Amino acid sequence: MVDAVAAFVAWLGASVVVLADGRRGLALGAAISVAGMAVVALDAAGPEAAASVALGGVVAAAGRLRSGRGGWHIMPAGSTPRLVLCIAAALLALWIAAALTTGPAAPLRFTAMVVIGLSGARVLGADEPPILFTAIGLLALAIALAAGIGQIAPTPWPFLAAAVIAGLAGWISPRTVAAA
Amino acid sequence: MLQPEAVELVILAAAALAFAVAFSPPAASRRELLGKGGVGVVGAAAIAAVPTFEGTLLALLALGVLHSIIGGKRPLAVRLRGPVVAVTLLGLGAFFARVQGPEVMERFAAVGLVAGLAAGVGVLPYLHPIDPDEPLVSSPVVWLAFAGPVLAAVIVQRAQSLLPVDAAGAFGAMLIGLGLINVVWGGAAAWLTESEAVAWRYSFVADWGLVLCGLGLIVADGQRAAIVMLFSIVLGRLPLYLVALHAPHEKVVTGRPVNLVVAAALAGSAPFAGFAARLLLLRAATQLFWPLAIVLAAGMLLWLPGSLRLGRSLGLPKGRQAVGVALVLAVNVAAGLYPLPILLAAHL
Amino acid sequence: MPSAAVVAPVVLPILAAALIAAFGIAGVSLGRTAAAAGAWSSAVALVAVWLPVRSSLELLLGQLGYGSALDLRVDGVSFAFGLMIVLPAAVLLTLQPRTWPEASISLLGVGAAMAAVEAGGVVLTAIAGGTAATVAVVLLETEDPAAPRPSWALLLAGWLALSLVGVILQVGGGTAVYSAVPVATVTAALFALLAASALLASCLLPWRMWPSKLWSRPSLRAAGISIATLYPLGFYLLVRAYELGDGHYPSPFFNVLLAVIGLATAFAAAGRAQAAATRREFFGEVIPGLGGFALAAVALGTPLGLVAGLVILATASAFVACLALLPDRAGLASMVTVAAAVGLPPSIAFGGRVLGIAATFEAGEFLGLVGLAGAAAWATWMVAGARAIGLPGGRGHPASETFPRVAMFIAAGTLLAGPAIAAFQLGFANPVAAEVMRSSAASLGGGPTSVITVSSVLPAVTLFAPLLVIALVAYSLSTTSAIKTQARLPLFKLPSFAAVDQARAALRSATVPEQYRSILNVRELEAAAAGGGMVLWLVALVALAFAVTR
Repeated sequence: MVDAVAAFVAWLGASVVVLADGRRGLALGAAISVAGMAVVALDAAGPEAAASVALGGVVAAAGRLRSGRGGWHIMPAGSTPRLVLCIAAALLALWIAAALTTGPAAPLRFTAMVVIGLSGARVLGADEPPILFTAIGLLALAIALAAGIGQIAPTPWPFLAAAVIAGLAGWISPRTVAAA
Repeated sequence: MLQPEAVELVILAAAALAFAVAFSPPAASRRELLGKGGVGVVGAAAIAAVPTFEGTLLALLALGVLHSIIGGKRPLAVRLRGPVVAVTLLGLGAFFARVQGPEVMERFAAVGLVAGLAAGVGVLPYLHPIDPDEPLVSSPVVWLAFAGPVLAAVIVQRAQSLLPVDAAGAFGAMLIGLGLINVVWGGAAAWLTESEAVAWRYSFVADWGLVLCGLGLIVADGQRAAIVMLFSIVLGRLPLYLVALHAPHEKVVTGRPVNLVVAAALAGSAPFAGFAARLLLLRAATQLFWPLAIVLAAGMLLWLPGSLRLGRSLGLPKGRQAVGVALVLAVNVAAGLYPLPILLAAHL
Repeated sequence: MPSAAVVAPVVLPILAAALIAAFGIAGVSLGRTAAAAGAWSSAVALVAVWLPVRSSLELLLGQLGYGSALDLRVDGVSFAFGLMIVLPAAVLLTLQPRTWPEASISLLGVGAAMAAVEAGGVVLTAIAGGTAATVAVVLLETEDPAAPRPSWALLLAGWLALSLVGVILQVGGGTAVYSAVPVATVTAALFALLAASALLASCLLPWRMWPSKLWSRPSLRAAGISIATLYPLGFYLLVRAYELGDGHYPSPFFNVLLAVIGLATAFAAAGRAQAAATRREFFGEVIPGLGGFALAAVALGTPLGLVAGLVILATASAFVACLALLPDRAGLASMVTVAAAVGLPPSIAFGGRVLGIAATFEAGEFLGLVGLAGAAAWATWMVAGARAIGLPGGRGHPASETFPRVAMFIAAGTLLAGPAIAAFQLGFANPVAAEVMRSSAASLGGGPTSVITVSSVLPAVTLFAPLLVIALVAYSLSTTSAIKTQARLPLFKLPSFAAVDQARAALRSATVPEQYRSILNVRELEAAAAGGGMVLWLVALVALAFAVTR
């Protein structure tokens, strides 16, 4: 039950990232999603993995607050297709995770699939660097989560690496991009 | 354990970087090449060295982010799109490979892996947008000719352990299908497109078509063909592209000997490495499905008109660049006549 | 003789090329001496390897990596074809002045062609032959980019087809080595591919292709070398095909088909020759004409036919050097060359054609008709030659490249060599037949003075020597001063190819109708594919998923 709620939270956070254009909205979405993913990771891969996800996500969310368009800008005008995408992705992922595939870790499957899918779609559809790097951070963490599927005792190394990537990506700002 | 093909391709990438640094004309761009290229080599090595599939994806993601933030003429979103979509699709592919469910999941896994590979490298249908004036270090050619070969070797090898037999067959078939599309499109576009920079990109795409066909032909000769083809991309086409980038844009109507010899090398004529790769590919196709060999042989003729054009784009190399071109051609002749060391190094 | 010696004919010209290039880059031109040394040393090495043993000598080193080992062999076939390649090239490299890049590239071409005929298997021949073709194109473009040259695509297609034959033999039979391929592997389909590649490699086709067109170049330095190195290679493949099939082609149909193609080539060349406007145009058809007759003879499938074909080919190779050195003006050299080219008795060309026609009658059935048609083509050549004596010379070539006395010497040599045809057959052509037609080569007999076949005897010395005397007497009594060069009407007009040219022009200028351009706009299609659009990428993914679930 806890995992199911956590999976829902992860989806919710990823959806906020998809629907938000402002730095606060992005940071909030990242934080919510990471919280959900950390709980799922705790069950799937242990406390080290969960701690890595949580830390990476917090650092990424903190970094996001520093740069990007000011304010929340959640569901701005013209974001209806993105909303449809979030709902459709959730339904599809739910069907696959709960009905089509078998095995005990349905929340893990749902979380990995939906966050990977929504993050990738967000990168495909966005132009602004803060949005792109926020989505990339989530993507990295979801990839690490996917490593736990089908394994009895996943190692924490992918989660650590993903946390580093997510944390660093959250601090890349347009000034960093221009300087490079 | 490190995969021998991937290690070899990392070494080749490093050699290509050394060539670029040694033979690139302006001193300033050499420093930039060394710095940014060095990061690319390290990233490619990381992709090869990481023991898990997810680790590979994370390394790819990190490399993609690094490549996108070094700047360039294309918008950041465009530069990021390819590697991120690749990671997404590969991640989903690995997901579908691991979950327990109906057989169709395995096929979706194959789709994800193939599509992710195509997106990561930048071939059809996931061509990375190109700006003709973009510097080499930030252009999509980096994925086509520098990091892409290592990525392909790793992905294909990991896919073979992820996918069951039936899905592995679908994986191979899709690679061959995509390969043929890239052969035809790349070959025709390299000939007909207006911009020379774009023509060079398509020539890489056409070569990748043969690589994908080789990777999809699940016999030893197919893998051998792919590795020799990748050699000719990294240590043949890429250095020549670098020379062409810095050639003065004079209107070269006639072909000097060097332009024609370069055209022959780019077209995969004997005795260059591209011909040896084609031989191995035809062997592999004949073993599995001989009509494919006929189609491939016919498709190989498409390289010629584009290569003549690209050969002329080098102009008349002088001084250090002439030495560089001669070195590239000599290496490719040696590899074309005697590819065995390349294959042995890759344990093929 | 150590087996390593077989590499000498291949390596020596390549080493000479490297030396010339190295000195050339340093600003020192080694001139004709180095080029000549490279080519003649290859010829000498070939003879030195073959003559002491007169049997196959093979060098087998390790695997190369594509299913073939480095396998070089000097046997009767490679000896004969090697001489046909290297001797005319050596003559041209000795006499004609060249820049150092041209000399270097020419020697590379010679080395590659020698490697093609010394290769022990189909795959290596394809690699070496493809290299020779590429080098020839580079040489021709280097000399004069605006002048006619072979279609690179056509040459590449031929050698690529041979590569495919090689890999099919490797996969199907386990090997592509000429002497080891299981006969059952050489199916009709495979042979068709091999024959197609041979025809493309030498352009043995009835219409006017590069073996004719190259002779119209302003300079014949590169043309001579290119034809010397490339033209024999297609015939080489057809001769080796007998070895692959244990002395036979897979079906008599192929013998007939190739003989008919050869005949058509010879006849078409004769038709163009008799309609030539200048003597240079006439000479441009000599090599394709001889090649057509040679193909018709080689394709017969009998030892006599093979021998006749080789005699004609050897004559053609002599003419490559002769025609490249001949100036475009009237004179004795020109007249002697015309006489030798059309096969006036008792030239060796005459002897070869006589043997070829005899071979068709011995082969019997439909091939006998081929012999009759061959005689008709020969008669057309005679008419063309008679007409050509009075034609204007042609555009002319730089005087430094032409050596009329040497050209005349070569042409006269082929005329005088007629009585020695039996000896030529014994020493040059019989070893080839013995190599590739082991089971039936014994049907050829005779000695240095006569050719003995299954059904006839040709006493070459007895017949040809008096003919030679008669010919010399006839020439001495005739006056050539009355011959005035002028435009002459052809015996028959060639069918107009205007319709073909019109169709070609229409195809080139074809455009998509205005109302469909928005659908078939290639630029927009390319922009869409390369634009990185989200929709396209998603659609592609869906398409892949759909395809894989079917």
